[in-house]
Parts: sequence; C-alpha cells; structure tokens
Amino acid sequence: MKYFRPNSIDEYHELLVTLKETSMSILAGGTDLMPRWEPDKGLMPDVLIDIKKIDGLMGIRENEDEIIIGALTTIQDIKKSILMQNEFGSLSEAARQFAGVQIRHRATIGGNICNASPAGDILPGLYVHQANIQLIGPNGSRSIPISKFIIGPGKTMLEPGEIVSEIHLLRKGVKSLFYKLGLRQSMAIAVVNFAIAYQQDSNGAFTSLNIAAGSVAPTIVYLESFVDAIMSGVSLDEAIQHVDIDISPIDDIRATADYRSTALKNVLEYNFRHELHQGNE
Amino acid sequence: MGLKQIELTVNDFSHPFLVESDETLLFTLRNRLYLTGTKEGCNQGTCGSCTVLLDGKPVLSCMTPTLRCVEKKVITIEGISSGENLHPVQKYLVKNGGLQCGFCTPGVVMTAVPFLEENPDASRREIKEGLSGNLCRCTGYKKIIDALENAAAEMRS
Repeated sequence: MKYFRPNSIDEYHELLVTLKETSMSILAGGTDLMPRWEPDKGLMPDVLIDIKKIDGLMGIRENEDEIIIGALTTIQDIKKSILMQNEFGSLSEAARQFAGVQIRHRATIGGNICNASPAGDILPGLYVHQANIQLIGPNGSRSIPISKFIIGPGKTMLEPGEIVSEIHLLRKGVKSLFYKLGLRQSMAIAVVNFAIAYQQDSNGAFTSLNIAAGSVAPTIVYLESFVDAIMSGVSLDEAIQHVDIDISPIDDIRATADYRSTALKNVLEYNFRHELHQGNE
Repeated sequence: MGLKQIELTVNDFSHPFLVESDETLLFTLRNRLYLTGTKEGCNQGTCGSCTVLLDGKPVLSCMTPTLRCVEKKVITIEGISSGENLHPVQKYLVKNGGLQCGFCTPGVVMTAVPFLEENPDASRREIKEGLSGNLCRCTGYKKIIDALENAAAEMRS
C-alpha cells in the first residue's frame, strides 16, 4: 500500500492525475475505515490518501446567515462548540453521544457524511437542518443538500476526484433535539436514532416540524407521513401509527425490523410527550 | 511492500525505524518498540484498551496509522509515572482496587489522565461519561470511578 499526504486540495488533485492504481481509500479520521482493514486477507487499498493535513478544511465559522463547518472538523470540536450548542442542538447532542472520547478526537464530520452509514449519528441532525454539502473537484465546486448527497448505504454522489470541503447550515432559529437508542451508552451503533427540528407558538403548537430517523431504512429518512399527521392535528397516538409508512427497517445483528419499528415509535412518543409537551405527559 | 524510514517521538524519546505503510500505531508500539503496556483488545475501536495520547489527546492506537504520527508526540502508559512516583490516577486505582485482571487499566489511565486534567471538577456522572469509551470486564466500574474521584480530588489540591 502506498501512502500519500497532500497539503492542499490542488496537491490532492495533482496527485490523483499521477496515480495508476485502481483501489484507493481516502483517510480522514480513519475510525470507520481502519476497522475494515484486514492486511492478512489482502483486504487493503493499493493507495491511501491521508487528507487530514489539507489546509483550510478544519474549524467552525459563522456569518450572518450561515454556520460553516469544515469537513475535517472533529466530532469533539463540534461537541465543544458553544455556537453549535446554542443553534443546532441536535448536532451538538449527537456529537456528545458519538462513540467515546478517543474516537471523537479522530472522527470527522466529513468522514461521517461520506461513510453514509444508515446509522450515522451526525446525519439526522444534518437532515432536519437541511444542511448543504459543499464539494470540491478537479473541475470546480458544487453544493448538494445532504438528503440528495447520500443515496444508499455507503453510497454518495461524490464523483471521482471530489472531496467534501464544507457543510453549510442556515441559521433559521429552529430548535432541534437528537435521540439515540443504542445497546450501550457509548461506542454503540444506533439501533434507532432521530433528530427533530421544530418551532412552536406560545401555545406549544408546531409552526414547523421536521423529523429524520436513522437505522430504519437504507439511508436516513424523513418521517413525512408522521409529521403530516401531527400537523393535521390528529392525536399523537393516531399519528404515531403513520411512522411505519416512512420507514423500511431490516433485521441485522443489532436488532430485528420489528424491534426497530416498535422502538422508534416508543422513543418518538416519549420525546413528543416529555420533551415537546404534546399529548398527555 | 512499502517500508518507510520514519522518526517517532514516544514518551519524549525520538526513535528512528522502518514501518510498513499500513501498520497501526498499536502494532508499532508493541512489536517494534516493545512497549507492551498498551493493550490490544478488540482491535476495532470498541474497547478502549489501546488508548494512547497523541499530542495530548486520547486516541485509539488500533485505529491510528503510524505514518500519521510523524511530527507528533505519542505518550503511552509507560510515560505516565515518573519513576516510582505514580500519577494520582494510577495511585488511586491501586489504592481503591480499581482493577482485577488489569488488561483495561492502561487504557483507563490514558483516558482518565487527560480527562481529569481538563475537568478536575468533574462530577461522578461526568467521569462515567468521560470513561464510557473504555470497557472493563472484571470490576463492574464502581471501584474505577471511585478511584478517579479520589484522583480528581488530589489533582485539585
């Protein structure tokens, strides 16, 4: 395996032109990539490109309309950001519950996005806040909404030579929360997780509501039928039955499809009653 | 294959040697530097027993390519005490009996030291959360957390 460590995006693109090897991995934090390495079985890429040193892709900055997160920003930096805590509660909370401290110091938000796991903890928050993913390729840059960028488990719209450079979040003053059900307090991959973004009037009625759930479909999914039912004013008990229309869970080593469906409805209901004060507490 | 000559700074000593481009820091520490205090548990980023400090931050050495550690400072469990003088975290793990088989202990120490240095006033709940990336299969954690509370008290004074 050959190892390269470009210092800039230009250097990265120049490197790509010279490479002839067919299998190549991009290394950011490495926390999803490295557990899959099996040198004994030859399951290694021919080329590893370590992008962690590329300039200008780290850190959280703000302007009047947006918060912009560099793709190489670590989950620990997101967890510690007061800006994120104040304005993007679901992302801040997801970072808090993300793996353990050792992994948070390495794992990057760009890596979590490109890994495109159906269970990725950072993703539901990005979906409900309708994050835009900024990509830089050899022929220029483009921007795609997160829900269009991820197309399947481990699959994204990333073209050869492109990397994620930034994540853009609009500052709309929307509140959000994140909830994760795992088999262990930390390091656990979610059995189900979700983020809720909402605005409420002074009576507690929703003026906007957006929910995205993970681990219940090939990608993160919006719970549109459930949200429509809630917004139409039906009772929480009735609305919760619509969740099954939005999801398509499977059986795997962590849980069965039935369990995921039941668990998601239960923890959603819990959050609506106790965190959002809907129905009877 | 891709052997590379590198210099690695471990516990304040600089070591020149050859490494494979695909080897992990855990492998390098244990098999090239014979620093076997760092333990290989799950080798897939779940158990925390291979935790070391990279530029002062706790990371899992089983998930860190060695080539990425060039020009950085690595501290392992062997670099925590000064001779016979144990770090408060080590001292109270011994005093409180915060270990049985001891396999997870180096990882616990390497996670707890930077955590308590950064959060000397951490509550019991915060200590538990800070250590949640480290598995212990013997003690049931109570004595470990007791030890870290005592260590925090000494580090505050």
